[in-house]
Amino acid sequence: MVTLLATVLIHIARAALLVFGVTVLVFILVRAIPGDAVDVLAIEGGLTDSQAEAMRAGLGLTASWLDQFTAWCLSALRGELGESLRFHVPVADLLLQAIPVTLALGAASLATGFVLAVAIALIATLRPRSIVASLVDILNIWSIAIPTFCAGLVAILVFSLWLGWLPVLGNFLVPVIILGLDAAGQIVKPLHEEMKELGTAVYIRTARAKGLHPLKIVIGHILPAAAPVLLAMTGLVAASFIGGALTMEVLFGLPGVGSLAFNAVNGRDYPLIQAVVLFLAVAVILINALTDLAQRLVDPRPER
Amino acid sequence: MSTHDQEATRSGYPGPGRPTIEQGSGGRARRLPFSLLFGLAIVTLFVLAALFGPMLDGQDPFSQDLLNRNQGPSPAHWAGTDNFGRDVLSRLLYGARLTLIVGAGGVICALIVGAGLSLTALAIGPWLAAAVFGFIDFIRALPGVLLALILIVALGAGLSSVVIALGIAFSPFFAYIARAAWRREMAADYVTAARTLGASRLRILYRHAMPNIGGALITLAAVILPRCIVTESVLSFLGLGVSPDTPTWGRMIADAVPLVERAPHAVLVPVFCLSLLTLALALLGNHVRAAVDPLRAGDPSGRQRW
Amino acid sequence: MAALLDVRDLGIAFPAPNGMLRVVDRVSWRLDAGQTLGIVGESGSGKSLTGLALLRLLPAAARLDPASRIRYRDTDLLDLSEADMRSRRGSGLAMIFQEPMASLHPLLTVGRQVVESIRRHTDCSALEARRKAAALFDEAGLPDPGRIGRRYPHELSGGQQQRVMIAMALAGNPDILIADEPTTALDTTVQAQILDLLRSLQAMRGLAMVFISHDLAVVTSMAHEVMVLRSGRVVESGSTGVVLSAPESTYTQGLVAARRRLSVRAPAATPSRSVGPECALELRDLCVDYPGRGPFARPVRAVDRASLTLSAGRALGLVGESGSGKSTIGKAIVGLARPTSGDLTLFGRPLAGDGWRLSRALRRRCQIVLQNPYGALNPRLTIEQALIEPFVTLGLKPPNGRQSRIVAGLEEVGLDAGFLDRYPHQLSGGQRQRVCIARALMSEPGLLICDEIVSALDASIQFQVLDLLNRMRTARGLALLFIGHDLEVIRYIADDIAVMHRGTIVEHAPADNVLDTPQHPHSRALIDAMPRLDVTAPSEAEDGWRAQHRSA
Repeated sequence: MVTLLATVLIHIARAALLVFGVTVLVFILVRAIPGDAVDVLAIEGGLTDSQAEAMRAGLGLTASWLDQFTAWCLSALRGELGESLRFHVPVADLLLQAIPVTLALGAASLATGFVLAVAIALIATLRPRSIVASLVDILNIWSIAIPTFCAGLVAILVFSLWLGWLPVLGNFLVPVIILGLDAAGQIVKPLHEEMKELGTAVYIRTARAKGLHPLKIVIGHILPAAAPVLLAMTGLVAASFIGGALTMEVLFGLPGVGSLAFNAVNGRDYPLIQAVVLFLAVAVILINALTDLAQRLVDPRPER
Repeated sequence: MSTHDQEATRSGYPGPGRPTIEQGSGGRARRLPFSLLFGLAIVTLFVLAALFGPMLDGQDPFSQDLLNRNQGPSPAHWAGTDNFGRDVLSRLLYGARLTLIVGAGGVICALIVGAGLSLTALAIGPWLAAAVFGFIDFIRALPGVLLALILIVALGAGLSSVVIALGIAFSPFFAYIARAAWRREMAADYVTAARTLGASRLRILYRHAMPNIGGALITLAAVILPRCIVTESVLSFLGLGVSPDTPTWGRMIADAVPLVERAPHAVLVPVFCLSLLTLALALLGNHVRAAVDPLRAGDPSGRQRW
Repeated sequence: MAALLDVRDLGIAFPAPNGMLRVVDRVSWRLDAGQTLGIVGESGSGKSLTGLALLRLLPAAARLDPASRIRYRDTDLLDLSEADMRSRRGSGLAMIFQEPMASLHPLLTVGRQVVESIRRHTDCSALEARRKAAALFDEAGLPDPGRIGRRYPHELSGGQQQRVMIAMALAGNPDILIADEPTTALDTTVQAQILDLLRSLQAMRGLAMVFISHDLAVVTSMAHEVMVLRSGRVVESGSTGVVLSAPESTYTQGLVAARRRLSVRAPAATPSRSVGPECALELRDLCVDYPGRGPFARPVRAVDRASLTLSAGRALGLVGESGSGKSTIGKAIVGLARPTSGDLTLFGRPLAGDGWRLSRALRRRCQIVLQNPYGALNPRLTIEQALIEPFVTLGLKPPNGRQSRIVAGLEEVGLDAGFLDRYPHQLSGGQRQRVCIARALMSEPGLLICDEIVSALDASIQFQVLDLLNRMRTARGLALLFIGHDLEVIRYIADDIAVMHRGTIVEHAPADNVLDTPQHPHSRALIDAMPRLDVTAPSEAEDGWRAQHRSA
């Protein structure tokens, strides 16, 4: 019990360190971007040099990086993420509006992909020569070969412009299907390989020696044994969605975190970039930690 | 296995009296699988196009013909023209070169950064390895596309910065695989034997571990290459590609998207080519994995996971 | 009377690079209710496949001879549909396997696995099934049968895991229990307990048993009738007493003789006194700790104040069960494990002061051969490359004489120059172990540590390797530290024996003293559990039983 608590504490400490490290990294990278928000505004709004300088001072951009960083960290700890340099609204508000959209998109796509992958892997293990079994490779190749944004473009072209079935912007169904297929393709292949290999395990032979029905063996013995791989892949895909949802959001005009990040980077909106990246990093770290925890729950053996 | 047709059958059993060695499946030469041939053919085609296409085609990918904007395919322009009246086919051929260079460059860069750094650190000592992997965990905590996006913005648009950004974004995969392979090797009995013979960590790395780790890395490179190309096209699509007027495929797609209603061919042709190339590379990658797969061979417990 | 199980002309073949390879060829036997048939054979003899074929659990690639018949009661199992066969598995015929840890599902509780078996074969509620499972656990001799079902396999010891497997096999009330090397992976004392359990279960339930093993002594202690397999063919069969006392085939005679030879001491056991009684190895109160699991876990003491001495030309046998710390001592000597306290002296040089580091010169004089010959050679290096390694890593001199040294080394272990260009996978286990020995001897060490080096080898090969070591010992005055769990092997080679138990050396004395008059209760337990080749084995069926062996 004590060791379990210690392990959890160490995990939390490590995650916190990661978040801090990522914050520093992003802070430096973002400041290394040539030009700042004022430059962008100056070009757009035609500011004079002195006006621009005054604006910089007002926004605190003339202070040293270290001062800017400590100032940002201190306010971030109070829960204040600053104000967007371009939209002049608190960054936190922008983020809070965007998060539900991305969350809904990600969760719906991941659920679709997960269910599809598990179902196909199960059937393919049970009936290796069926049509469903060939779907494993087809889906996997699809997910590697067809970039989601290409699929999205073609879908918009065909269903929205040519057939006129769906609205071009703000459509939710098509991105979920595309991302779901992508996730399924990434999950199903390793899962199926693992299940195939586990099928030759000695303890599966034991299950057969008991006289169990193949269906029962696949669902009750092989799938639980493959759960660590299933969880690991799902975690990986979930983490990658944070980047992958970006193009979908831009393409389908969904006002999520991806669109926000895209606009922020292009507009050199430092506080916004900083906040978005911090949020995404925390999300990735959280997903990784949850994956870890789930794997520990399904596999009671001590770590090797 | 297959749980249901695991059953051993009585057919195909060597008959009584006959020698145990039978003429049969072993004699015939194996036919190459279709997916391998298809993948090879497509990749060869694109590489040739990248090398010689711009010369053969004769059209200038940059010359604008504002009178013939957004034209569909015609004898003069086989794949039509884009919004500036530029020939889509010649831009496509020119873009193939850039796309392949960026993809391969990204993988090589990721291999050097990820595997090179981590293996050197692992061979030198556990403390250095802990430091390097701490850094790699940082990289890993940022989603790849976002990291590449920030890196490119920071480094400035251009071929080399895209390659570096892709290399850094994909390096954790190589580092983790290298570490997993290294750990497995270090646990192998023959490495224990080498240690009792007084072999140094460095010697163990190049004499014992490297041949096996190398196979795993080649396999991973084959899998990562199409992903690198896709990521590059995503970056281009988001406006952060090689540079605004060099036509990688992603850039061509991005430029054509606003006019997709008027000139769908300008979107569809590069989308098709991109998908075809990644498809072919993915198929080849699968075959490389099947051929090399050093981690699966011999050691059933050492499964490959990434 | 009709036999319970009647196997005729069983043939199994596998696709090989050049055609089909017959691995079991026209094997016939019968088994009556309540009887035990022992099947003996070395690796590759087809004994395990014979067992799997009874349940129709052969690998998918296997092909059965069309003439094969497996008659159980009044049906031919090979004619049944898969669904009908499934209903026989577990209820008619049940099976237990070699490695209990690998045979149990690692992520399901053992209770769940047994309950599943019960509910497959009897119509009962979950609660009732749990109660029955507890009864089965009790019958299988597991502690706390009411609650042990909540445990996972990795939380049980090897012996307990095998008891769970047995409980699971009994869940469907089978007539026939097929036991495929059920005790091979277990310690000798545990093996004796499991064998006792199987015997008593057989008596209580009137089970018929097929007992498969490589160990002649174990099989004959269990079986009424014995069948000896070699390369898939029956070379001998009959009632146990007859086969043991008057084996017909030369192969069986060899097996019996090999086992008997092990029960005497090696021929050249007296050490040559040409070398002075130099002390090669001395341990004084050596302790070795392993870090515990988890960041704040306390370290685990693997070796606790062990003291030993070994002089040149002598062989010391270090015996103990798995986890007793015997291998850790070997590892600590060659620097693979770091001692915590105490001292370790090699050829008069104490290591504690040097931070336990072996200098290159000491490394040359102190070598180890590892247990598993299949893993100890890098599959990508040829034998020649493997044998060159010590020259490079230990900085050995003769660069031009290298080739001849390597060939001489190979010849010394009974191989020749023809092996130089081969890869390990082209060699048999015995040949690989010889290469490992040759590699360890390249630097002409004065102390050779042998960590269970024959336990992965077949009985007939074990000898050749032991004799080889013995020759080296007399020829070179080599000090041997022979680590093992098999007392027969140790007795064959060792002058002195040290018995380890839970990290401490409980007895250290000349071999004969330890074997004949063991002082410590644990030594006595080890010796009592040793499987013996006993001619007066349980053999009530001496009435001329013969397997129907229709090879003609």
